[in-house]
Amino acid sequence: MKRYVYINEDESSHDLYRDNRISNRKYTTLNFLPKNLLEQFSRFMNQYFLLIACLQLWPLITPVNPASTWGPLIFIFAVSATKEAWDDYNRYLSDKKANEKRVWIVWNGIKKQIKAQDIHVGNIVWLRENDEVPCDLVLLGTSDPQGLCYVETSALDGETDLKTRVVPSACMGIDSELLHKIKGVIECPNPDKDIRRFDANLRLFPPFIDNDVCPLTIKNTILQTCYLRNTEWACGVAVYTGNETKLGMSRGIPEPKLTAMDAMIDKLTGAIFIFQIVVVMVLGVAGNVWKDTESRKIWYVEYPNEGPWYELLIIPLRFELLCSIMIPISIKVSLDLVKSLYAKFIDWDQKMIDDETGTASHAANTAISEDLGQVEYILTDKTGTLTENKMIFRRCCINGVFYGNDSGDAFKDVELLNAIEAGSTDVIRFLTIMAICNTVIPVQSKSGAISYKAQSQDEDALVHAAAKLHMVFVNRNSNILEIKFNSSSIQYELLETLEFTSDRKRMSVVVKDCRSGKIFLLSKGADEAILPYAFAGQQTRAFVEAVDQYAQMGLRTLCLAWRELMPDEYREWSLSFKEANSSLEDREWKLAEVCQRIERDLEVLGVTAIEDRLQDGVPETIETLRKAGINFWMLTGDKQNTAIQIALLCNFISPEPKGQLLLINGKTKDEVYRSLERVLLTMRITTSEPKDVAFVVDGWALEIALTHYRKAVTELAILSRTAICCRVTPSQKAQLVQLLKSCDYRTLAIGDGGNDVRMIQQADIGVGISGREGLQAARAADYSIGKFRFLKRLILVHGRYSYNRTAFLSQYSFYKSLVICFIQIFFSFISGVSGTSLFNSVSLMAYNVFYTSIPVLVSVLDKDLSEETVMQHPQILFYCQAGRLLNPSTFAGWFGRSLFHAVVVFIISIHAYAYEKSEMEEVSLVALSGCIWLQAFVMTLETNSFTILQHLAIWGNLAAFYIINWIFSAIPSSAMYTIMFRLCRDPSYWITIFLIIAAGMGPILALKYFRFTYRPSKINTLQQAERLGGPILSLGSIEPQPRSIERDVAPLSITQPKMRNPVYEPLLSDSPNSTRRSFGPGTPFDFFQPQSRLSASYSRNCKDN
Amino acid sequence: MADRGGTSSGGGGNGAPELAKKSRKPKYSRFSQQELPACKPILTPGWVITAFISIGVIFIPIGLASLFASQRVVEIVDRYDRDCIPRNVSDDGVGFIEDAKANKTCVRTLTVQKQMKSPIYVYYQISNFYQNHRRYVKSRDDKQLWSPKNERSSSDCKPEDFTSNGQPIIPCGLIAWSMFNDTYKFSVKDKVLEVNKKGIAWKSDREHKFGSDVYPKNFQSGALIGGAKLNSSIPLSQQEDLIVWMRPAALPTFRKLYGKIEVDLEPNDNITVIIENNYNTYSFGGNKKLVLSTTSWMGGKNDFLGVAYLTIGGLCLFLAISFILVYVLKPRPLGDPSYLSWNRNAAGHLN
Repeated sequence: MKRYVYINEDESSHDLYRDNRISNRKYTTLNFLPKNLLEQFSRFMNQYFLLIACLQLWPLITPVNPASTWGPLIFIFAVSATKEAWDDYNRYLSDKKANEKRVWIVWNGIKKQIKAQDIHVGNIVWLRENDEVPCDLVLLGTSDPQGLCYVETSALDGETDLKTRVVPSACMGIDSELLHKIKGVIECPNPDKDIRRFDANLRLFPPFIDNDVCPLTIKNTILQTCYLRNTEWACGVAVYTGNETKLGMSRGIPEPKLTAMDAMIDKLTGAIFIFQIVVVMVLGVAGNVWKDTESRKIWYVEYPNEGPWYELLIIPLRFELLCSIMIPISIKVSLDLVKSLYAKFIDWDQKMIDDETGTASHAANTAISEDLGQVEYILTDKTGTLTENKMIFRRCCINGVFYGNDSGDAFKDVELLNAIEAGSTDVIRFLTIMAICNTVIPVQSKSGAISYKAQSQDEDALVHAAAKLHMVFVNRNSNILEIKFNSSSIQYELLETLEFTSDRKRMSVVVKDCRSGKIFLLSKGADEAILPYAFAGQQTRAFVEAVDQYAQMGLRTLCLAWRELMPDEYREWSLSFKEANSSLEDREWKLAEVCQRIERDLEVLGVTAIEDRLQDGVPETIETLRKAGINFWMLTGDKQNTAIQIALLCNFISPEPKGQLLLINGKTKDEVYRSLERVLLTMRITTSEPKDVAFVVDGWALEIALTHYRKAVTELAILSRTAICCRVTPSQKAQLVQLLKSCDYRTLAIGDGGNDVRMIQQADIGVGISGREGLQAARAADYSIGKFRFLKRLILVHGRYSYNRTAFLSQYSFYKSLVICFIQIFFSFISGVSGTSLFNSVSLMAYNVFYTSIPVLVSVLDKDLSEETVMQHPQILFYCQAGRLLNPSTFAGWFGRSLFHAVVVFIISIHAYAYEKSEMEEVSLVALSGCIWLQAFVMTLETNSFTILQHLAIWGNLAAFYIINWIFSAIPSSAMYTIMFRLCRDPSYWITIFLIIAAGMGPILALKYFRFTYRPSKINTLQQAERLGGPILSLGSIEPQPRSIERDVAPLSITQPKMRNPVYEPLLSDSPNSTRRSFGPGTPFDFFQPQSRLSASYSRNCKDN
Repeated sequence: MADRGGTSSGGGGNGAPELAKKSRKPKYSRFSQQELPACKPILTPGWVITAFISIGVIFIPIGLASLFASQRVVEIVDRYDRDCIPRNVSDDGVGFIEDAKANKTCVRTLTVQKQMKSPIYVYYQISNFYQNHRRYVKSRDDKQLWSPKNERSSSDCKPEDFTSNGQPIIPCGLIAWSMFNDTYKFSVKDKVLEVNKKGIAWKSDREHKFGSDVYPKNFQSGALIGGAKLNSSIPLSQQEDLIVWMRPAALPTFRKLYGKIEVDLEPNDNITVIIENNYNTYSFGGNKKLVLSTTSWMGGKNDFLGVAYLTIGGLCLFLAISFILVYVLKPRPLGDPSYLSWNRNAAGHLN
């Protein structure tokens, strides 16, 4: 499907395509109530409560005033509806602001100002500097004579650098006055969400240019929400408008994520529901039997002889209503409240602020904090996540000569400086490629200092390095590239840019030396994308060795190459290049093919090595989290050797003898299968040994394995704690997450770049690092943090506390509802199984939404162990991971406790208040106060750390209970009139309450004490150690000594052979293939697949749109 | 709510402000950092044992005191429902009680065992009577009882809400309709013992629940007569028997105050009680008892609290002693790091 946009045809396309009104709203004023209610009632819990509330409207069966359910229900609904309405209103306001922004368009040949929402497809929109782009435009003209303009796309992809956009060649040089009258047609695809692609054609109508079709790419567009910068004006024709823009299309409502804990709570709710049904049925039958046998005799109730047809249903329904409070109506509200507080704690945490950038951590998804505490697998990206993504040029190898090997810094290498001084041709060429084979934009400030706007950190590093080595890239003036070498200025004319793609893994430029007129092809790229294309006679062995050596040090390598082009060759080629460039279908593939034609017979000049330093605290973080029982998988686009080195550096895998690396590789199905089998075999054997086994797989083998041997891969995933996947594509990353999720593991994906977005969205928890590669990952993620090391705190502190607190809160919510419900059930046995409620409506309502809900909310401040203890003993996370604090058996404990407490309260109240004291309201209040007191003590016993707020909530709540009841006792019309005063004056009331407390709490205290002292869990032991002070420090002796971190790469490279041998040892014997891979520098490229979909991390660093 | 999750992808055009918001440092407070000063008690043996000992030490005296108070209460209980049926119809209590012509008077003699100080409370005790039955307990209309304006009762009172010709019944409902109607007359040594029936109901009920200008109307005028009839010239606020009866009991066995005897009774006094045995408990197998009781600070005679206190106190002391024994015999240091077997643990979940 295509759309044809007629430029400046004022009326024709108006009806065809929508106007530019943006709408992010979920509701309208009219449909808000029905739609919102429908949404809320799509949840089972709410349906249940609504059913109960409706049943209560039937006075024959309702035990209490319907208000006791309707009140809380309406309150809960009002809260969520208000929140939704508020969010929607804010969306409306921001939409309105955007929609009513005034923009200039051309209308019947004259400029006219209209509201942004009235732009139609085909209108020409004029923008001035710093204007926001109102819709997706195809550029027609700019103030720049070369047809360039600069845009900031941070709102779109989070990248803060400026991007250049260029007027299509057909419109180049049209006078700004004539632009008002321009007519033409743009043939473009239907709206999609790909912000990196726009394959379209432009044809201008006479009198402008002859009927030449001009190809359009994303470079000719400026997209909605970008800002025009450094350009006086620009104008373009609207192609996509309103919600149909690239941005609008990519805006989707992500699936709400459900935590493991929510699932467990739902399961328990279901169990309670079934229990409730059973109770209702038993009591219902008992009630009907009792009625038939006994009620006829009790003349004082005047049972009619003939009942209505539904008579048999009445008693069961009454019990259903009595027992409906078993499922606490408050739990959803309480959980939502505490969950948003967990999220706030993350946002507020001072210890998770990145000091460099001042970025605070942010929880975008407020609902899944508990899952953080239950993470079992962390899948991490490498570049920018583990490393700083701050590239520094460290070493290079030019024509077989290694520079920077002694000092570790090429800038200090005298030999290199001398070579530059001497003007060695190879070195100069090498530097030239470093300086101009890129898409960097130099920006000269007024003071003359040059700064570079680069989209790729690698290019940035290279240009900076070249500048430091006296080859300064001064200016990019449309097609003229100006460099300064030792104060002499050299100019090149840029003829073509062969862009980087993750498939090609290289980029090239075709330039013409302005002095000599010679045409050169300058290329840089991954070794396997450059070295195989060296001209026939060149020895690439030295470069292969260099690449290998650098990779072993964990450096990123790029090979630089060049070739002189004959003018004829270039001319011929450039025609086919243009043709490929303007094709609408498979443009990328066709381009790649054309590029391949010219990128051959290269003369390889050398290899650059760029260091990407590990972020602070990465090894410690990984070590701590691995101790916490979390398995790490590293998914990277980088090379295998680089990845392994980084993995070693950051404690990802242990060196021999503790660690063992297993390689899975192969190009064909069989090879992969054999290698997979071998690895599996080794894994199965070693699982019993305390050995750190990791497997390494590259994207190609992974692709085969995932498509053909999914079962084996699944088993591998279960067996191995560590994996390194190199050269994987974004979709493979997501596939791996999916694989682990299908094995029922809780996964956390962490990444920083656009290529991690899919994995982040796929994982149970997505964490984005708001780093140098923009905010794309951070936006898609549930949590964004500034640095990798904050992950430790996020999981061990916030995740763990959230889990513990929710575990307590949810079980406590059930416990307190069950207590009151059991009392009601017991009471029904002494009230003729007729479904009388012991408690009155006010008490029931206040009990559920007030007396018992407020105190438990402060459990969000509870800390079982201090943060320091948890950090010292990350193993304690195991309790959360395994769900030890909320599972059917802990729940059974709470269930039993509620049964016990109900028995205690009921037996004591009816016996202490028997005979002449057995007045109903009094007994009910005695039982209720008994429950409240018990609950206060249960809270006290289960709270690990008391802050002032906890005391306030627990004891204040108790006081509030009495105050509220006194108030009700002072109202003559209330059923409770004077009751509470009466009770409080009566010494036997207090004696009864104390008896209830002692009888209810004594056994629980004794049991807890016994367990705590004689059967302590690890948490208990740590609590004891922590609170008693002393022995916790002596624990260091039984802990594995933390490995000293070798920050510098150099020592590692020296011990290389020693380290390599043991690590690869098992493979020497059983995997010839892998041996070749790791040792055979002579044949390293046999696994290179030109058409593979592998994307190196380089892709992110050289991306360009 | 759960669907709040995943609002991560921001809407259009708010990129820049979001960025600005993010880089703003959150405000520091001890609350937001979860660093509020906290006290973190743990269950040390000393603490727990002390707690149990002190519970025991406090509970046993209280238990003794309440048991003592309960024992001091002198109580005469006389079950008369069986004995007040003439022998010839003893197997047909229902028939007898429903026979309007039968003579229901019954004379009982009670002997005072111990001296009873005034005031002596006279209760009637009924068992197996479900005043808390769902159909029964709701069958009243408090508004009607309070004000003549609300004469027309609500449907709660069914089936005793209106007479057959549509007149409202005051007081309506099953509770009032089934009011207890046995009467007792006491005499000692042929001297009549006055039973004071004033002030037996709660003052609050008399003053705020039952109206002084609400008079019984159409009460017990239907075909089915339940219990007592009311004098329609006395306002409800003075019908104290009704007020007492209309405080439903939570248990199927209950006592309700009949009146007070305001003279002391000496040991071996023989009290003659003339009972009008009108109330039908025979149909549901309930029994009726007449209770004369003195009172203490704890109320009537009820050993439950005393016994329970002694039991709990004793158990607590027992627990305390056994904890001490275990502590001495099998000491176990708290927070011993050797209990932290991480290595075993870690290997355990390697799978």
